[in-house]
Amino acid sequence: MKRRNALVFFLTLTFLAIGLMSAVAQTVNVYSIWPENWARPMFEEFEKATGIKVNFVRFSSGEALARVIAEKGNPRIDVLFGGPVETFAAGIAEGVFEPYKPPVFDKLEPRFRQKDGYWVAIADDPLCFMTNNQFLKENKLQPPSSWEDLLNPAYKNMIQMADARTSGTAVTRIFSILEVNGRNEDKAFAYMKKLRPNVQLYTKSGGGGTLPVGLGQAGAGIFFIVDALDTKAKGYDVAISFPREGIGSAAEAIALIKGAKNPGLGKKLIDWATSAEMQKYFAKYKINFLPANPDVTPEASLAAVLKNAKLFPIDADYAGANRERIVNRWVAEILNP
Amino acid sequence: MFMHDDPLLNLRRGGGGRAWIRKDPALTASVSILWALIGLFILFPLVSLLAGVFFVKGRFTVENLLEILSTRHQLIAFWNSLWLAFLVGTIGTILGFLFAFTACRTRVPSWLVSVIDGVVLLPLISPPFTTAIGMIFSFGARGLITYHVLGIKGATVYGLWSTLFSEVLTYFPIAYLALKPMLNGIDSNIERMALSLGAGRLRVFRTVTLPLCIPGLANSFLLLFAASLADFATPLILAGNAFPVLPTQAYLQITGMFDIRGGAVISFALLVPSLLVFFLQRYWVSRRVYVTITGKGAGQLAFDSVSAPVAWLLGALCLFVTFTIFYLYALLLFGSMVKALGANNAFTLNHYKVIFTEGAKAIRDTLIIAAFSMPLGGLYGVLVGYLTAKKSFPGRLSMEIASMLNYALPGTIVGIAYLMAFNAPPIELAGTALIIVALYVFRYGATGIRTTVATLSQIDRSIEEASESLGASSSFTFRKITMPLIAPAFFSSLSVVFIRSMTAISATIFLVSINWTLITVRILENITELSLGPAAAFSVFIVVVVFAVMGVINAAMRRFKSPGAAR
Repeated sequence: MKRRNALVFFLTLTFLAIGLMSAVAQTVNVYSIWPENWARPMFEEFEKATGIKVNFVRFSSGEALARVIAEKGNPRIDVLFGGPVETFAAGIAEGVFEPYKPPVFDKLEPRFRQKDGYWVAIADDPLCFMTNNQFLKENKLQPPSSWEDLLNPAYKNMIQMADARTSGTAVTRIFSILEVNGRNEDKAFAYMKKLRPNVQLYTKSGGGGTLPVGLGQAGAGIFFIVDALDTKAKGYDVAISFPREGIGSAAEAIALIKGAKNPGLGKKLIDWATSAEMQKYFAKYKINFLPANPDVTPEASLAAVLKNAKLFPIDADYAGANRERIVNRWVAEILNP
Repeated sequence: MFMHDDPLLNLRRGGGGRAWIRKDPALTASVSILWALIGLFILFPLVSLLAGVFFVKGRFTVENLLEILSTRHQLIAFWNSLWLAFLVGTIGTILGFLFAFTACRTRVPSWLVSVIDGVVLLPLISPPFTTAIGMIFSFGARGLITYHVLGIKGATVYGLWSTLFSEVLTYFPIAYLALKPMLNGIDSNIERMALSLGAGRLRVFRTVTLPLCIPGLANSFLLLFAASLADFATPLILAGNAFPVLPTQAYLQITGMFDIRGGAVISFALLVPSLLVFFLQRYWVSRRVYVTITGKGAGQLAFDSVSAPVAWLLGALCLFVTFTIFYLYALLLFGSMVKALGANNAFTLNHYKVIFTEGAKAIRDTLIIAAFSMPLGGLYGVLVGYLTAKKSFPGRLSMEIASMLNYALPGTIVGIAYLMAFNAPPIELAGTALIIVALYVFRYGATGIRTTVATLSQIDRSIEEASESLGASSSFTFRKITMPLIAPAFFSSLSVVFIRSMTAISATIFLVSINWTLITVRILENITELSLGPAAAFSVFIVVVVFAVMGVINAAMRRFKSPGAAR
């Protein structure tokens, strides 16, 4: 009996000690939509530069936005970090953000900032096609250079892409298809329906399909360039290509949460993330985002990959206004026909 | 572990009414406290869930439910869930019986039985989707087995069959552990007699051994059925879009669209089948277990139910399955120690470095939560078990049923219910560790209830009555007489709560927050990204920790047992 009392006592002590320890340092709370292996080095550099600790947890964009909306009455975080801009546009409609214009605001291209400062871009991330080279060879195919190429029956049941319910990659992809089809929804959905038999799996996370494509478990996929180049860098034998009709590029954004408990610290993080300070680290940590800040030049190998790609920005206002309706239509007509 | 499912245990009903009439203050107090806790952490969340499903803006409606039940793809997911659970129950039970039968009724060398026991323990102490990781690598268009070994082209890993395969491997050990003591409990002399009366071996098996096993088989079928119905992680990874199941749909509805109500409605559809299975298993099958314990041990000789060639065949089958599990876990270990599985197989310990630096928070949080859940859950199980088995008070049976509810329902339902109940005032616990600890205590602590009840039913009540008639209060009697006797039950429920606290995901994935995260959630996150190495390293870490803690608990149990005559 005594021994158990001692155990409970000891556990309570540890619990308290840990609680105290984490309360001492200045901490800003963040939901990161960027995967941990990219977000973490950025936040560590931020802590080095400012002494402010970032307490963060990673969610895919749909999940993160959903949490922020659910916590509207009592926000648990200060900043929503990373993730395609249409997620942020949808957040504005839900009234979860507090406008804030960092010093760099006026220097940014208009498409990298929300005019009232509800969000600001920290990077640009184009989509691309990624194919497994051995799969291409066995099926005597060239890397796809058109959206139509993906309809080839050789890809039957061999393409992986993200699920629009949870992934911003998927939403950006769907809006790319809409753009390519002149925003004619019926035409775009007709294309996606034709593509459906070739899709092996809709993954929960945007990068979820990269590993299967790398391994050859799937033949092709549509991913953000940052995920695709990371797969290649890990040593998987994959090809990266772009459709000649064009493909969307989503700005990755950051925003201050309305009612944040530490708005001052949150603003510091936003100042830092939108400045050259952070974005120059993309190259150092081999994160293949295009910097949004005009003072940082894209890393050479990334620029080379993108040289001949036809890219267009996703219109944040149009995407944000239509996101929920389009996703629901996608679930009803494409995912579960 | 999983002794709560031990079909040999029988519930002793009744008990005198004197304790309550005497107005024992300790009893009154503990019953009131327990009811308060059960009310807060079991009934209140369920009521919140029901309210969310059936009340829209204060008005009762069944529209939500009808909408789900009339949506074609949700209906498909509903039947898929039941079909998958049925298959897992059937195949897992057959496999579990095969193992138990081979271990008990053929002359397998005992070291081989130990090896098999050790390996089949692995799925029980690792997160439910760990076999799924191995599956993704082994099968599919370029799978290690389907393509590189068998040369099959264009295979797909996603769908019913791989989900079924993975779930059977994960859950059949439950059937094995439940059936083995039952087969051991059947006096082999009965089979021997039948044989010497001239029946063939097959006939003995068909007319003697198998009928004696049927309640146990039914029991194990229902256990596996429930386990599969509750599993959302395996289908999330392996089922793909062609085979949607309800728990996964509910999860995506909530995490993707943050439609808690929609998720609640979807998961509610699982409530009826899981409660049905629970009551069948609990109040019907488990009472029809035939045991033929006689002089125990002394008169029993090893009995071969089957001829030598059949014994070899059975042994080979078991070894094959054991090897499959071993292979999947070896692949996991390998994956945790190479740079990028499949592309760069150079040795590295970097993934372990990653989990102990970047993953340190998840590890710390998980261990703290498990450390709190374990003693509290153990205490809860023993207390409720003791009170419902030994004491008589108004509402005893209701308490027994209520205390098991969180355990009987699939984790998805319980997790969503907690989210709905504690997400906003009056009782706002979302974002705290308490909500996760409470979930573990009241969900997995319940496993200790039945173990305690079973242990107590073997102890003659006169020992306690003697103490009480000598003037000791019921709390003194409990401390000095009953507690040493139920210590083994307490320790075994400690193990169960700890294992589940380290490995569970289906309920707690809804409850993690910026402040408290869990290793299992991180593993799932890692799997859905490109970080397979850390996912594998985390899984290996969990297996090692659970093994170590179980070792400590077993050692403590042995120390507790040896001085007294508790057994």
